[in-house]
Amino acid sequence: MERLTNQDVASMGKAVGLELAGPELARAANGLNAILELMAEIEVPGANLVEPLASPWGRQEDSDE
Amino acid sequence: MSNAELVFLSVTELGARIAAGEVSPVEAAQAYLERIERLNPVLNAYITVCGESALEEARQREAEIARGEVRGPLHGVPVAVKDQIHSQGIVTTDASKLRADFVPEEDATVLAKLRDAGAVLLGKLNMSEFALGDPVSSAFGPAHNPWDLERSPGTSSTGSGAATAGFLCATSLGEDTGGSIRGPAANCGLVGLRPTWGRVSRYGVDGACWSIDTIGPISRTVEDCAATIGAIAGFDAKDGYTRREPVPDYRASLGQGIEGLKVGVVKELLDPELVGVEAQTREAVLAAVEVLKSLGAEVKEVSLPLAAQAGVIIRTITHVERVSLHPEWLRERPQDHHPNTRVAFATANLIPAQVYYKAQKLRALVRRQVLAALEDVDVLVQPTSSGPAAVMSTEPGESSVEQAKKALVEGGFRGIYSLAGVPALSILCGFTSPEAGGLPLALQIAGRPFEEGTVLRAAYAYEQNTPWHERKPPV
Repeated sequence: MERLTNQDVASMGKAVGLELAGPELARAANGLNAILELMAEIEVPGANLVEPLASPWGRQEDSDE
Repeated sequence: MSNAELVFLSVTELGARIAAGEVSPVEAAQAYLERIERLNPVLNAYITVCGESALEEARQREAEIARGEVRGPLHGVPVAVKDQIHSQGIVTTDASKLRADFVPEEDATVLAKLRDAGAVLLGKLNMSEFALGDPVSSAFGPAHNPWDLERSPGTSSTGSGAATAGFLCATSLGEDTGGSIRGPAANCGLVGLRPTWGRVSRYGVDGACWSIDTIGPISRTVEDCAATIGAIAGFDAKDGYTRREPVPDYRASLGQGIEGLKVGVVKELLDPELVGVEAQTREAVLAAVEVLKSLGAEVKEVSLPLAAQAGVIIRTITHVERVSLHPEWLRERPQDHHPNTRVAFATANLIPAQVYYKAQKLRALVRRQVLAALEDVDVLVQPTSSGPAAVMSTEPGESSVEQAKKALVEGGFRGIYSLAGVPALSILCGFTSPEAGGLPLALQIAGRPFEEGTVLRAAYAYEQNTPWHERKPPV
């Protein structure tokens, strides 16, 4: 996947109300690119059909009913 | 034994002497408070020291002893908790300027339980700002590792590690999302237990990631860890996700040995090419496995195929959930965050929804893999970290994408069991060579949900047959 530029990340920040600039923008771009690239590399057959796990189990009171 | 030497007793030794009337809780509290006064300027482990209230609590515990009332092994024992855990009438900061004036109206359930067990609260411990995994982000300055002041005590329960290893409290509580109990335990040569998600109440603990956060002990010995988790575990109606699973007497079963215990060694987390585990760490963990084998454990290699990816999976989930807790703070008061926190929170805000959703799907697969492995073996073992404590840097982190990726992979050592929601414990398993600083190395032991007792039993057998826990840090 194509790596995001600092300008890309600044624009994404603006879309959610964050003004990013200077060294902190560059570091945010590094962190975001790392996450996006590593996540994109994970390919597990059938993973799209897996139900996502929000928590290991539900509320105890639901189990009690 | 002089009063000053009381701090070197284990929780169970000190508790036994207090119960027998040989040591006064006030003497114990004074010994710790004097040591805190002398060494906290060096370690910066405490944000708040509760000197007067600790002595008052100690006097009350002393009066109870005089009446023949002993609440349990923690009666009169001085403890401390991470400053993420609410304490009635005592400021609870999350190590942030944004929370510098927050005074809770009631104790978190875990603190209330510690008090019910007779423990005396010495104070509130330093941490990474908002429990983010950064060693230098505390608004009160970083805590320091008693084994080497220049090195990280482990994040995010930095003060819990530093204070417990530095004998500034008898035992402590930390909060573990992606490894914040086990990391400090590893870096500081301690025993840290992340309990099963749902075993310990999170009520009154400022959240980092609601679906993964846990609270647990960081202690100097396995028995101390067992005594501490025994005091705080159990169902709490105020936290609907705690379970009505019975809480066993963890200390009672410690000495039952591990003959026939099935131990799985996770091959991915010992692969230098895959996860960057360092040679001395790998050797120490494999030597620990040999000790377990010599004690009668049946050892086999197991595979957790997503282990190397667990770090980025958990970071994706925890980042998104963490910034959802107080989204307005970053926009309205950005200057009141540490720069590293500000960058991390900004990054978290930009993770696309589909990536977060993919991470939650992968989390389900990770959990399946871990639970499937635990059908064949009783416990899983591997390093807690790739190497010993790193030197703390005040320079901004993640100066390149590759550096950021390396940090994400490192998170997988501990994150894999956080994702699975199972109990996992870190225990000291050796030291680096003197040339490399003589720093603690750590073994991690994970078990089935709600089987903390098995994990503790394996750790105790290992500890009692190795000399590592007898060594004290130079501070």
